[in-house]
Amino acid sequence: MTQPFSPIASRRHFLRSTSAGFGYLAFAEMAARVAAAESSQQNPLAPKTPHFPAKAKRVIFLYMDGAPSHLDTFDYKPQLIADDGKAGKYGGTLWGSPFEFSRHGDSGLWISELFPNVARHADDLALIRSMHCDQPAHPSAMVQMHTGTSTFIRPSLGSWVVYGLGTENENMPGFLSLTPPAAGAPSYNSAFLPSVYSGSRLGRGSGRRSGPQKAIDIDNPNLSRQDQRRQIDFIQQLNRGMLDRSTGSQRNIEGVIESFELGYRMQDTMPQLMDTSQETAQTLQQYGIGNSATDSFGRQCLMARGFVEAGVRFVEISYGIWDHHSKLSENLPTRCEAVDLPIAGLLKDLKERDMLKDTLVIWGGEFGRTPNRQGRDGRDHINKGYTLWMAGGGVKGGVSYGATDEHGYEAVENPVHIHDWRATILHLLGLDHEQLTYRHAGRDYRLTDVHGNIAHDIIA
Amino acid sequence: MIIRSVLCAFVAAALLPATSGADDFSREQIAFFESKIRPVLVKECYGCHSDRTGKIRGGLRLDTRQLLLIGGESGSAVVPGQPAESLLFTAMNHDGLVMPPKRKLSKQVIDDFREWIEMGAPDPRESAAALVKSTVSKADVRRAQESFWAYQPIKETQPPKVDREDWPKTDVDRFVLARLEEAELKPSEDDEPYRILRRLSFDLVGLPPSLTQIEKFSHMWADDPDAAISKVVDHYLKQPQFGERWGRHWLDVARYGESTGHAVNLTYPFAYRYRDYVIDAFNADKPYNEFVQEQIAGDLLPAADDETWAEQLVATSFLAIGPKNINDMDSLKFRSDLIDEQVDVTSRVFLGMSLACARCHDHKFDAIPQSDYYAMSGFFESTNTFYGSQKASTNPMVQQDSGILEYPVDAPSPGQKIYTQAELSDLKDNIATLRSELGQGSRFVGIQKRIYIGQLENELAGLDENGRPISFCMGVQCSASPGDATLLYRGEVDQRGDVIPRGFPSVLSTRPARIDKQTSGRRQLAEWIASDQNPLTARVMVNRVWHFMVGQGIIASPSDFGATGQPPSHPELLDFLTARFIESNWSVKSLVRDIATSRLYRQRTDMNEEAYEFDPTNSLLWRGHPRRLDAESIRDNMLAVSGQLDLKPPHGSEIANAGFVRIRNGVLEEISNGVGDMAGRMGGGGMGGGGMGPSGRLQRGGPGDGAGPGTRTQARGPGNGMRPGGDNMGQNGGGGMGRGEIQRGGMQRGGRASAGGRGNSDAGDVPPGRLDMVDANFRSVYLPQARNETPRSLDVFDFADSNAIVGRRETSNTADQALYLLNNPFVLRQSKAFATRIADEAATPTQQIKLAFRLAYARLPQTSELRTAKALLADFNGTEKGLELLCQSLLASAEFRYVY
Repeated sequence: MTQPFSPIASRRHFLRSTSAGFGYLAFAEMAARVAAAESSQQNPLAPKTPHFPAKAKRVIFLYMDGAPSHLDTFDYKPQLIADDGKAGKYGGTLWGSPFEFSRHGDSGLWISELFPNVARHADDLALIRSMHCDQPAHPSAMVQMHTGTSTFIRPSLGSWVVYGLGTENENMPGFLSLTPPAAGAPSYNSAFLPSVYSGSRLGRGSGRRSGPQKAIDIDNPNLSRQDQRRQIDFIQQLNRGMLDRSTGSQRNIEGVIESFELGYRMQDTMPQLMDTSQETAQTLQQYGIGNSATDSFGRQCLMARGFVEAGVRFVEISYGIWDHHSKLSENLPTRCEAVDLPIAGLLKDLKERDMLKDTLVIWGGEFGRTPNRQGRDGRDHINKGYTLWMAGGGVKGGVSYGATDEHGYEAVENPVHIHDWRATILHLLGLDHEQLTYRHAGRDYRLTDVHGNIAHDIIA
Repeated sequence: MIIRSVLCAFVAAALLPATSGADDFSREQIAFFESKIRPVLVKECYGCHSDRTGKIRGGLRLDTRQLLLIGGESGSAVVPGQPAESLLFTAMNHDGLVMPPKRKLSKQVIDDFREWIEMGAPDPRESAAALVKSTVSKADVRRAQESFWAYQPIKETQPPKVDREDWPKTDVDRFVLARLEEAELKPSEDDEPYRILRRLSFDLVGLPPSLTQIEKFSHMWADDPDAAISKVVDHYLKQPQFGERWGRHWLDVARYGESTGHAVNLTYPFAYRYRDYVIDAFNADKPYNEFVQEQIAGDLLPAADDETWAEQLVATSFLAIGPKNINDMDSLKFRSDLIDEQVDVTSRVFLGMSLACARCHDHKFDAIPQSDYYAMSGFFESTNTFYGSQKASTNPMVQQDSGILEYPVDAPSPGQKIYTQAELSDLKDNIATLRSELGQGSRFVGIQKRIYIGQLENELAGLDENGRPISFCMGVQCSASPGDATLLYRGEVDQRGDVIPRGFPSVLSTRPARIDKQTSGRRQLAEWIASDQNPLTARVMVNRVWHFMVGQGIIASPSDFGATGQPPSHPELLDFLTARFIESNWSVKSLVRDIATSRLYRQRTDMNEEAYEFDPTNSLLWRGHPRRLDAESIRDNMLAVSGQLDLKPPHGSEIANAGFVRIRNGVLEEISNGVGDMAGRMGGGGMGGGGMGPSGRLQRGGPGDGAGPGTRTQARGPGNGMRPGGDNMGQNGGGGMGRGEIQRGGMQRGGRASAGGRGNSDAGDVPPGRLDMVDANFRSVYLPQARNETPRSLDVFDFADSNAIVGRRETSNTADQALYLLNNPFVLRQSKAFATRIADEAATPTQQIKLAFRLAYARLPQTSELRTAKALLADFNGTEKGLELLCQSLLASAEFRYVY
């Protein structure tokens, strides 16, 4: 190939002349690199340079649907245990966690016995123990966690990230949401951002009973791949004919031609990336795959690793239901068991592949649970104080940031509002949450609205 | 004639009671509060009624003085000086409400509260002061009034002189050509006739031209191109499909959706009436100024008969169909957000003005002080919105419920069932039995039961005494106590500033509006917006129509005529067309005709490097804008080409069929039984159960506030209880449903049975959902429009998001579209039908290929295309499969979905 060339002319030249098929594949790889160089106007998903250099390049968000109790997992409250049975600040009877807490790692983070495997990674975790949000009801809080507000329809976190950074693999969507909550469309929708930034959904229903499912329209029920290739060749002949007949740049037709090649390849990439059968027994075991308690979430974690490895920018996994109004002491351990080993396996795997350093892993639910007992064995919702954690991607390991009051009702030290949390995530990805804007309905919108303070203390 | 008008209202207090400030109390009184009252409030009440814990049950917060006085859904919590009138006090005494819920406070505490209220409820817990200083001065407003183009009166403009006198066909062309000549650019050549016809056909009716039309048009074109276009335009304007096409454009702008959206997504089963109203309005060429007025204040306009009244009432669904977070616990905030949404749609849709930007502060770019927002929101503060929902008292997911309006004409929805006397009494018995069983079983089972009882009770409320369904619609009514809005500092409901008299944006008014304080003033708002003198309303609509016809507006941002929007590319043309539009009695059809018959509309879309260099966005119109068909045209095009298209509109929609239900996982959760499938959900609380969902119909009773005072005839007053007598309206709405030019006779339930029952044995697969309706053959505009659950066939091609005002759709090219076109069951079905059709209608492969090309592209294949198509057929040995693949390829190709 002669150099230098104008990328656009060259793309165009290839689209016109290369017959589809294997020759095209080689071209497509080159085109992907060229695409990166082109402006984002040409391809809205092309990788973009962040506002400033950053460690985190991709995100795995483990969303715990239904709000796990912070008081029984990552927010150790000795005073609550001491005051067990006494009257709470806002009525009710205080309930000290029935689960044992102990220190872990060199950092000595306090973590409960419900997360023995995650605890082994204590020195990778940054616990944010002073989270708060505005909504005490699940659906509204779930939406606020993902979009910043439950009042208006706004783009989700993943959409903003892909809008800000583009994605690395043109054969895959930039934002995947595995088994989002049943009412979870707002959690992956792009709202006013262009629809290419919407999350692609794989399965539904917080994945507790059914693992992630097949992607939509990912294969043809009546046609062999070979016959379909033949058909696509014909479609591309029609398209190239149109391109030939038109004069000058016809970006639209080029877009259609590319979309068929990418779609065709996605039919293979997607199932391949979702196929865990080629993994070693050790890997499967590490994720808890094959063990009925951990199989479902383990598969999703393993898939998420595969997706981010392949260049998908943002992967979210939802898992529920953590809404322990009753039978907490029975059901919370079951739920924790289902995710503990898989999460530990994921962290380990990422580390072994040297990916943890630039993969941001985020864990948490939409709010926390009350220090006082609800009924005999439950905790109610509380949005004024709870815990989320992050690991990898430029986050300091083994730190605990902020604190709730002595009983865990509300954040009192370094409170981190959900806007602050989001500003911090964007910062880790090299995006300035005040600069990442999109003009809609006459004004520039941000993921953090008019708020957002970065929690610098957890950034390495 | 009856009006059992408004069934239920949930209105938070609109006005803050006049209160004393903290300074007015003595030190002793404050000390009394601190020692006797505050600790009790914190301990006993804050758990459910404060921002400290985030819980705001019943919309009541007790953690600031202001909010305690405003109260929640049931009214003021405390009336200073009057314990017997104070709900907080009566609830403590278990008189009516029972608080705290589980036990009674000691007599000593109750006595303290009595004493405290009697002394005037001294309370130092002030919300932050609401001192608001506007940064937009009167001079700023005046300057904008005088200088900003959009606020200027519409100027009389004359078509300019041009050099190339032979090019313009209409005055519109002269304006465009003059700008091109100024820039030393040339317009493009006329396109080929088949392409012009295809463009016209898609633009006017959203469908491809038939083979006969193509034939006829090419002959007429050869004779006289102008006459050919004129004739075909007249033809399309008369087709009922015109209203379907242009109505859908409006539905984009009006953020039409058939459910609440947000995380708890409940259906609006009567929203479809608004859809049909819009389609009819465009077909009837209803003057746009009337169309506007009806949507803002149709409930208040005089109506000659029930049909007209019904139509006007349905028009106000415009204000009710927006997305709503009915799970929001804070009813003050919910109401304030609802009003905000109404201010936003009203100002952006009709005026192209982003007034809602001034909710929390002065507008950052336009001369809109924050007070303008509250002047406008007063109209909606004085309005009750009826969107219809399940009852909050029986369904814990519903925090903000609403009644619904009775439709003045007997025309039940297709989903409403007729009950026999026996079924009716069964229903009543069933409710009684279930009620008697409450209290048994676990809390969770109790919740499920209550939801089910609520559904049955609603079902019952939707029936008359003979078991016949009552007809309902969404819409608005005036509040019984209209009033002005209070400015909220930073938009926060507990930080109240001045009361702002209702009025219009100051930059558009020369003098203050005089609103009769006894009315909502909504009718005046409607008249002001729809006035010939309003500089924005007609311009905004003209620009919207231009956008849809030409591909890019004269103002490229159709819903933003403010400083952040685009300036007009052809300001004189905009004014010229606007003046004509008003003169034509606001006729959209005339405007469409004006554009369709212009020369510029015929231009080729080819690139011209030199012109591109100078004007890359083609704002001067040196060529036609190449356009991709929108989602519904792509789907309808497939159906038309395959011969499967059913032009008969279905009655209602799939959402109407389902009634009041929750939508999750793309599934309409209909009533099955009381306890339902718990779907693995744990515990009650806000999370609720998986099996909950459906509800029957509505809540009735309660005082209707009917129409606004003095605007309706007396006979239409609420509650003079006779139904229209002796009608013969069947459940399927037979003759009574015939509307306008469209016969919407018999009920067609679309693909319900098949789509609903479509299971898939492979648990790992993703079966098309019921709401995707892959088996439906009617036009896309009638597909169900649940928010966040757009049918895949539309979603994949950038359909309008019903959560937003969409004046301009995106067009993307994605791999997902390719996957859809290659593999989706709807596309496969259309390809098969298309193949069958050409096999039936043409004998040889060559003829078949030619026919397929003519149907798909409105042209014959070129030699090379014929050759490659034949090669494809040969590769599949001339089998049916080959023909199907050929047909699918045409549907999937770029030319099928682009209008060039």
